[in-house]
Amino acid sequence: MTCERFEELLSAYLEGDLSPEEKREMDAHLASCLACAELLTVFRETQEALRGFPEVEPGPTLMARLYAIPEKKSFFQPAFDFLLRPSLQPVFAALSALFIAISFVFFLPQGRGIQKAIDRQLHLGYNQVEKIYAKAGSLTDELGSLKNSVVDSIKTLTPEKGQEDKK
Amino acid sequence: MDLNAIIKDCLEGRQGAWETLMNTYAKRVFNMAYQFCGSRQEAEDLTQEIFLKLYNSLSKFDFEKNFTAWLLTLTKNYLIDEYRRTKWEKTLRDEFDERVLPQTSLSGPEATLEQKETQALIWAGLNRLSSEMRMAVVLRDLQGRSYEEMAEILKLPLGTVKSRVNRARIALAEVLREQKGEPS
Repeated sequence: MTCERFEELLSAYLEGDLSPEEKREMDAHLASCLACAELLTVFRETQEALRGFPEVEPGPTLMARLYAIPEKKSFFQPAFDFLLRPSLQPVFAALSALFIAISFVFFLPQGRGIQKAIDRQLHLGYNQVEKIYAKAGSLTDELGSLKNSVVDSIKTLTPEKGQEDKK
Repeated sequence: MDLNAIIKDCLEGRQGAWETLMNTYAKRVFNMAYQFCGSRQEAEDLTQEIFLKLYNSLSKFDFEKNFTAWLLTLTKNYLIDEYRRTKWEKTLRDEFDERVLPQTSLSGPEATLEQKETQALIWAGLNRLSSEMRMAVVLRDLQGRSYEEMAEILKLPLGTVKSRVNRARIALAEVLREQKGEPS
């Protein structure tokens, strides 16, 4: 028997789980191998020490925390249940994608370019609106002057008509 | 005690059912956590997390199965996952002090002292085993589980469990030999 084989069978040897033949081989190896005999001594010592480890009682504070688990859960559960509904998953996914896109714009150096482009577009749009507004303003002025000229024309036409009647 | 009835009562939110379940299993889970991680404070937090996890997954329990094995598998998975995640770098094992020493089986003050020293070395040495090896020692030698129960808890074939326990014991014996061999 090799030392490796001896190690493999060590627990079974001590637990009486070997066949008589294997046990005889183990005993024979022990009688001839000092290293394995030493290992067996330390192994037994370890086992004896492990057997003596006591169980520890959980403290009253821990027990109180454990007893309180259902109350805590029932207090927080409705809010979490609402948030954890499967139907909200696409919403969370869409929001996540949106936040990622926004973070690219605001936090990445390359994103600044995107932000500038957006600003430029907004600015252009604003200019367009301003121009339209200005044109609309000039149009109202033109309409006003047109109205005045029409009124003046009517005024000038009316006395001439009266004079014709006197004649 | 009909365990399945208690679990059903827990699921229905009956008064006292959860407390009964805690009284039955808190000590076992707490000791498993304490022996595995070695810190009482850490073990208390882990125990609370494990039972919180149990409370959340209790509705998934298959009543055809063994509840104890199911809970201990959940405990084992949580402890190993947590160990891998944190490695408990910030916490060392508690000192193996007088409060947790057992009644010695040996007689005489010298024998007691030697046994105390051995136990302290083994307690500290547990942290030098891999999480799987340590779990094997905890379940077999500290919790006293049978190989069959361990196979169910660890979800491993019986032969693999026996071999793992043997390797873990040898590794621990080597640690002890190394520690005792070091000049003080």
